[in-house]
Amino acid sequence: MVADAPAPASSRQRGAMPSVRPRRQREEELLVWPDLVFVEFIAALIFTITFVALAILINAPLQDRANPANTPNPSKAPWYFLNLQELLIHMHPALAGVIVPTIFLVLLAAVPYFDTSNEEQGRWLATPRAWPNLIVGMTVGFVGTWLLIIYDSSKHIVLYERFSVGSEAFRVWPPFMAEENVRTWPETLNWLKSVRALQTDINWHNDLTGVPIGETFIRTDLLGLPRGSIQWNVPAWIVEQAIPIGIMVGLPILLSLVAWRTGLARTRRDHMILLISGWFASWLVLTVAGTYFRGAGLELLWPWDVYPAES
Amino acid sequence: MATTERPQGQAIVDRAYEFLVNNRVWKSIFRIGYPNTPRNQMLAVATNVFLHLHPTRVHRTHVKITHTYCLGGLSFFLFLGLTVTGVLLMFYYVPSVERAYADMQALQTDVRFGMMLRNTHRWMAHGMVITVMLHMMRVFYTGAYKPPREFNWVVGVILLVLTLLLSFTGYLLPWDELAFWAITVGTNMIGSDPILGEVNQFVMIGGFEVGQNALIRFYTLHVIGLPLAAAIFMSVHFWRIRRDGGLARPL
Repeated sequence: MVADAPAPASSRQRGAMPSVRPRRQREEELLVWPDLVFVEFIAALIFTITFVALAILINAPLQDRANPANTPNPSKAPWYFLNLQELLIHMHPALAGVIVPTIFLVLLAAVPYFDTSNEEQGRWLATPRAWPNLIVGMTVGFVGTWLLIIYDSSKHIVLYERFSVGSEAFRVWPPFMAEENVRTWPETLNWLKSVRALQTDINWHNDLTGVPIGETFIRTDLLGLPRGSIQWNVPAWIVEQAIPIGIMVGLPILLSLVAWRTGLARTRRDHMILLISGWFASWLVLTVAGTYFRGAGLELLWPWDVYPAES
Repeated sequence: MATTERPQGQAIVDRAYEFLVNNRVWKSIFRIGYPNTPRNQMLAVATNVFLHLHPTRVHRTHVKITHTYCLGGLSFFLFLGLTVTGVLLMFYYVPSVERAYADMQALQTDVRFGMMLRNTHRWMAHGMVITVMLHMMRVFYTGAYKPPREFNWVVGVILLVLTLLLSFTGYLLPWDELAFWAITVGTNMIGSDPILGEVNQFVMIGGFEVGQNALIRFYTLHVIGLPLAAAIFMSVHFWRIRRDGGLARPL
């Protein structure tokens, strides 16, 4: 590694530009031809062989001719967009399809403008606390995203019904196989069945499901136009927008705050590693869930229960 | 390692080498002989239009495979492979709703190595999405986006988006059920934006549902529009690596 030839202390300062770097040490350098060109050639060769072998062994799918009248169930986007399709199940379509990816890409592009120090660049996870932040970020992203998906797909109900302690359940082993031991979710807690249940299983007052925004705030009549009649459905707004936004913005901030208070993340680089690792894990879970765990009707199923689309 | 000595005792090889290299044709192409001295090795890189993307010397840590896993280079390599296989595929494919699917079937059954050509293109396309993402993770975890390389990271994010769009536009072209519904689901997502969504979706697929207009738009973007854009941003990306002092390393 680069433990050799430490640079003078003056150039290790924050924000030091390459112009103040020490003179390049020739003995630390190799000639591109043959040392690098050779590595590149081998890499290209390995990839060529790999892809030729793949092309011989696995055929690209070609299904029946496209028929707009015949919608397969489930219909899925290409795999790298299944994370967005998974988000779509849980929130307002505009949020999942356009706003979240756009804001995310802008934030991703802005990473170097938040994390402006240039210490330990060019080495794998070399800053202090890099590994703990990576592990914590990835674990939280992985577990948290799965928990949210499970909750919003009402699968915690299944867990409760099969595993509820205090019943006769555990007399028979394995308990989740014994149908007679199934307990039902208490009706008073129906609003905890999923995020959507907050809207459907609570008796919202009619004033709240149709707040007349158009007539009170948007006074188009003052411009001589007909009066607007936009109605604000508060419960739907809470379920489709407020909670998802709160989770997507709030949980990362909470994670960063906790990491800051506990001393896990002290520098901006720490916070970047923590949050971006959390995002990588979360993105992976969303992609995997969308690809392997969503069956007909986009219901959450075990991969072995997910069959190819039927049309 | 670089060596200044030529293998001894192989007169016939030496004579063949002299015959091959010491003539006007070879020197008109390569200017120098086989790069077997440090000077010639640097000249070989500096005077070759393809190799001069590189500096003539690199820090020795950058040649270690585990430093980069060659991910950026492999993404570029896949882009080149996709260009070659894509050009060949264009010989057999007509982007019309009537013909597209039949062309795919003909490609797979009637064209010699047609199935393999298509397979290579498809797996390379998936591979490129993966290598580009892994490359981004590599750059992130090695802290290689830090000053002075901030802007190149931004260019990289643009290239990531272009890679996804290239793959997405290519997805429609086989005109089978998988293609049609994947693009329908994907473009519906764009159309769900309340402000400009419907307009964007209409412009993107040239109508209210995926049909001939969408096919020709996706085809044109896939074979010329997006590859050109990607080539331009790749040029900037590679140029900036050199301008910003090569690969990142500790100060």
